[in-house]
Amino acid sequence: MKRRLSIHQAENVEINVSPLIDMVFILLIFFLVATSFVNEIGLTSRHQDTADPKRKLDEPLVFEVTARGQVLGDGLELGISGVGSRVRTASARKPMPVILKIEEGARADLAVLVMDAALGAGAKAVKLSAVE
Amino acid sequence: MKLRRRILKREELESINVSPLIDVVFILLIFFIVSASFVKIPGVEINRPMAYIAEDLQKNTILFALDSDGVIHYGGEEIPLSQVGPMIEELRREVDLPVTIQVDLEADGAQLAKIVREATLTGAPVSVATRKP
Repeated sequence: MKRRLSIHQAENVEINVSPLIDMVFILLIFFLVATSFVNEIGLTSRHQDTADPKRKLDEPLVFEVTARGQVLGDGLELGISGVGSRVRTASARKPMPVILKIEEGARADLAVLVMDAALGAGAKAVKLSAVE
Repeated sequence: MKLRRRILKREELESINVSPLIDVVFILLIFFIVSASFVKIPGVEINRPMAYIAEDLQKNTILFALDSDGVIHYGGEEIPLSQVGPMIEELRREVDLPVTIQVDLEADGAQLAKIVREATLTGAPVSVATRKP
């Protein structure tokens, strides 16, 4: 008799964990379903629109990307490496901002390559602007 | 006495020990809670352009996609260009999220510039997703 009592006591002390497991499983499934893994690499333009007209801005370097696949600077065809060297010379003392004028119909990969070259050569920011 | 002990022993053997299972489930749960980022995927296959100096972008971001036909996608829906700005403002009201644009390499560059402009005007940092060369 005495022994049976002790067994009963032992059973009483044990906590029932199955509701906890149920809940944890539900949470697990929720997070499994809702999580999306976005792992992107990319370029950040770092350009910010400054509304203050009094602030003195550095004169930006302007390049153009045409629909025919040319990269122009001051009307001359430079190519992607030409953009890199120009930005590097201009940014030697201080990082310079760059404006990239993209003609309608120009391919996005060319624009991204020019942006890549400019940022790689030390440009402060790259502003993309569309040209009709 | 003997009989009782034998029954007890058998009962103990029959119940499976679940504590390692719970441990594993907890570890999985914590992993998913920590890595959870509720980002809406644009839902189109994009052929990203190549870039040499690309850096890792923040995981929690507002994702737009511009496909080769010039259509803008967000969260599985097509949206017009005029909707990009208000949408970003709405999403950034509570959390300061950056904007990432997935652009197809055959897309129109001018269209990309317009989206970047719309996004920049809201004050968000804007990135263009690329791939490794």
